[in-house]
Amino acid sequence: MSQQLPEVLASVFREIPNLVFEEQTARRLRVKLRPDALPALLELLKGRAGYLHLSAISCVDWPDTDEFELVYHLWSYEVKTLVSAHIYIPKKPGRYVSVYDIFTPAAFFERDIHEMFGVYFEGSPDMEPFILTEWFGPPPMLKSFSSLDYVEETFKWEQYSPDWLKEIEANGGGIVE
Amino acid sequence: MTTNIPIKSDPNTDIACRTPDMEERSLLRKVIDRIADRCRSRSLFILHYCTGCGAIELPPVITSRFDSERLGIQPMVTPRQADILLITGYLSVKTLKRVILTYEQMSAPKYVIGMGSCTINGGMYWHSYATIKRLQEYMPVDMYIAGCMPRPEAIQQGFLQLIDNIDKGQAIAWQDYYYQYDKYLGNQQALFGPDWHTPTDVIAEARHYELFSENTIGEHTALLAKFASKYVTLQCEELVK
Repeated sequence: MSQQLPEVLASVFREIPNLVFEEQTARRLRVKLRPDALPALLELLKGRAGYLHLSAISCVDWPDTDEFELVYHLWSYEVKTLVSAHIYIPKKPGRYVSVYDIFTPAAFFERDIHEMFGVYFEGSPDMEPFILTEWFGPPPMLKSFSSLDYVEETFKWEQYSPDWLKEIEANGGGIVE
Repeated sequence: MTTNIPIKSDPNTDIACRTPDMEERSLLRKVIDRIADRCRSRSLFILHYCTGCGAIELPPVITSRFDSERLGIQPMVTPRQADILLITGYLSVKTLKRVILTYEQMSAPKYVIGMGSCTINGGMYWHSYATIKRLQEYMPVDMYIAGCMPRPEAIQQGFLQLIDNIDKGQAIAWQDYYYQYDKYLGNQQALFGPDWHTPTDVIAEARHYELFSENTIGEHTALLAKFASKYVTLQCEELVK
């Protein structure tokens, strides 16, 4: 463990088994842990070290290992160090427990991840579509989703050199280089 | 060019009491439309739908630098009092829904300007799943101003061209929405699902403006009877018959 690690953080990390952490900068810690230990870590950080601010939950799709990586970014106004907690969950069934009961803003992040990646959060208050209300396709942020293929079959294209443009170009207009 | 209005009724009758025949009426209507078009082209209100770009280019066009008010063009904040719907930049599928609702609220005659490459062919968002590619599939467009973004001078040039088109009575794309409503609604339904409808009864409006054609209703508007019978009562009765 690093010399600069605040004692309050070190005491929290000692409580969690199988926790690996690396320091990116002095104010930025990356923590990897087992998925079932994450709620306990969040509770401890919130209760002991003043980590009241869940900045974001981000999700990464790893197609090679068939896993989703969920990253919980936490900030404390007392310790002033960003903690990013990384967990890996299997893509099937792609379910994880909601942390809404610990951090209320998690509801929006989880709803967003649900529509963009298809991860279902058990206990989250609302899993309805949030931004993609006019969407009938698969979750679009998955690596297996090809945006280009979707566009090709959904939309039609304008011609790039239509006849009417040739007339304008013949009169000296159109694309001028 | 002078056109003599043929007076076919009895010359002895009082001219104020006689009923003009169809040909004469249509000629009168043309003259009045011509005057109305000329007046209209000198006083236009833009509703700018700035979801995409244009926050740098539009303010100089409207304010003191290029001053579109000397052309008679002013910004307006509500769709019901505006003539021009200015779509600046990309439209996502979600905002397109709102644009269609806005467009249908505007009173005719209404003009749509698609500004920037995104409204023409997707622009730099051409491979995005969330943005539409061609605006003209969903509503009739009078004019496109190409560029990413077009310079204020180009926007001004486009306004001048639109004024000229309105003056000559050529900016009649809005009528196409009533003539071809089935096509436009079909394209909208392809994105929003078969139950898509607006509170506006476009088919009744088409009848009111005498712009009803055989393409106004079709297989796509038939779905309105199923999902939006609250709004399109007229058409439901027809389908039952």
